[in-house]
Amino acid sequence: MTGRPALLLAPALIVVAAALLVPLALLFVVSFWTVRSFRLQPDLSLAAWVRFVESYGGLTLYTLGIAALIAAICVALGFACAYALRFRAGRHADALLTAMLISLFGGYLVKVYAWKTILGADGILNGALSRLGLIEAPLPWLLYSRTAVVVTLTHFLLPLAVLPIYAALRNVSAESVEAARDLGASRAAVLRRVLLPQCRLGVFAAFAFCFLLAAGDYVTPLLLGGAGGSMLGQFIALEFSTRFNWPAGAAMAFGLLFASLGALALVWAALARATRP
Amino acid sequence: MTALAEAAALATAPARPLVALRGLAKRFGGLTAVHPLDLEIAAGDFCAILGPSGCGKSTLLRMIAGFAEPSAGRVEIGGRDVTRLGPETRPTNMVFQSYGLFPHLTVGQNVGFGLALRRTPVAQTAGRVAEALRLVRLEGFEERPIDALSGGQQQRVALARALILRPQVLLLDEPLAALDLKLRQAMQEELRRIHREIGGTFVFVTHDQTEAFALANRIVVMNAGRIEQAGAPEQVYREPASLFVAGFVGEANVLAGRREGGVVALDAGLRFPAAGPDGPVCAVLRPERVRRSALGVEGRIVELVFLGDALRATAELASGETLRLREPDGRGAASFRIGDAVRLAWDPGDLRVFEAER
Repeated sequence: MTGRPALLLAPALIVVAAALLVPLALLFVVSFWTVRSFRLQPDLSLAAWVRFVESYGGLTLYTLGIAALIAAICVALGFACAYALRFRAGRHADALLTAMLISLFGGYLVKVYAWKTILGADGILNGALSRLGLIEAPLPWLLYSRTAVVVTLTHFLLPLAVLPIYAALRNVSAESVEAARDLGASRAAVLRRVLLPQCRLGVFAAFAFCFLLAAGDYVTPLLLGGAGGSMLGQFIALEFSTRFNWPAGAAMAFGLLFASLGALALVWAALARATRP
Repeated sequence: MTALAEAAALATAPARPLVALRGLAKRFGGLTAVHPLDLEIAAGDFCAILGPSGCGKSTLLRMIAGFAEPSAGRVEIGGRDVTRLGPETRPTNMVFQSYGLFPHLTVGQNVGFGLALRRTPVAQTAGRVAEALRLVRLEGFEERPIDALSGGQQQRVALARALILRPQVLLLDEPLAALDLKLRQAMQEELRRIHREIGGTFVFVTHDQTEAFALANRIVVMNAGRIEQAGAPEQVYREPASLFVAGFVGEANVLAGRREGGVVALDAGLRFPAAGPDGPVCAVLRPERVRRSALGVEGRIVELVFLGDALRATAELASGETLRLREPDGRGAASFRIGDAVRLAWDPGDLRVFEAER
């Protein structure tokens, strides 16, 4: 019997290893290569890494900051939503959850363009505001800005935050919440001492999902970000496509990956600290 | 007023109830869970709210605790109106049916939760946690995780966690329902001992009349959102205020009859005076009050159940009604056979007469 679990895990592990780990390892190796007249040269050069730190260090930090902001908003909204589904929605919870899942599969580009029509200069929001006489000219910071990127990615990623938190809250008994209130806990104390410690993993998973997807996204900032809302992903894509500088792209991709994992480690530590009994 | 007169006035004044419910009611949408009711619970009482499931007893308890907002009426505790206060600010603490323990905390952290919220110094907290655990006989369990405890031990932790804050009123929602019979009896004993030791006021909800009788010195019987009767256990058992109470609390024989001119004639064949309006009535008789007597009504034994400490027999009467009787074992178990003709009698004073429900 002892050999069985490993055997059952093997197919999935093989797929993951062949389709993910091997290409990633190859790409990591490429980040130390060089390019001469559009040809990859095997090498052991740190040039791409140095360039990443020197030219893109600031943009990487900015990208992580935006991603952290989006993830934080998603976790906060997602927690409220998951809490309502778990403790307030009663028998409607399943229907609401299904609706949320459907919205998740609603297509990424569709959402991006939907927000374009909402936030655009002649979009719904600006149109409504100007007809109400609240503004004279369309608000310039609505579209092609940081705001547009944050709003759109939050909208897109929110279901991904709700699901793990909801799953974690399912294991929290309503009575333990009531017991905490009965023992004198304010709503904030219930959150910090009872809810968060019991669904720490779910909250972290929600944050990690949103953070990693937001940090790696390059379509939304490209279409909605304008000049001020650019993120590192766009430049990574550029290195691979137009510039054909694979080592640079690989170094930037791994640089972003490592920085993201580091940031997540900090978040985990902060979460563990905040929910210590 | 002189001090002496004041003291005399205090001594003669009726004791102020610790908990007073005034016109308290709860509606959920169009559904009335609790009809407006009044109830007073004195300090030191061990009070049982007894009733079938869905009678509104849990809603009543939750209104006292502050978890359910009353649709009408007031909750007063210690003379203070607490109707608008949340559970966190009321001088009550609750033991929940499935305990509601915090699985991510140790036993000691669970018990000390309320003190930690009040920023009690660590050393003082440790002392009071140890004291509370000693009270529920879980000395030295501080460091254990919750999921390593048995159901009975979890119950004790929940009790210690509620008692450590020294609430004016301890509320218990079906506290023993999740335990098996042996454990339940042991916990009943524990609860009685703890109530004696700390001299607090306990209010608990149960659907189990034996539990109510085993624990409480005051029983409130509820049915369909109303209080049917509130009183001492003996009173509730011997002088039930309604047919429902008679049937719900203990075993009862219900005999149909008619009252005319202050005399009740039972279909089973017995007449006795009992004041009241004319019309159909029901007479309730406890099985242990039925005697065998040569002068009694005729019947035939149709069922015999040996209960160990007693013998329960069911007799069919000439009227077609059945009558249960209960005799302490050894007093005639051998002399009973199914099919035996018997003559059964009772003291008319043991009958409680109610107007029949239509």
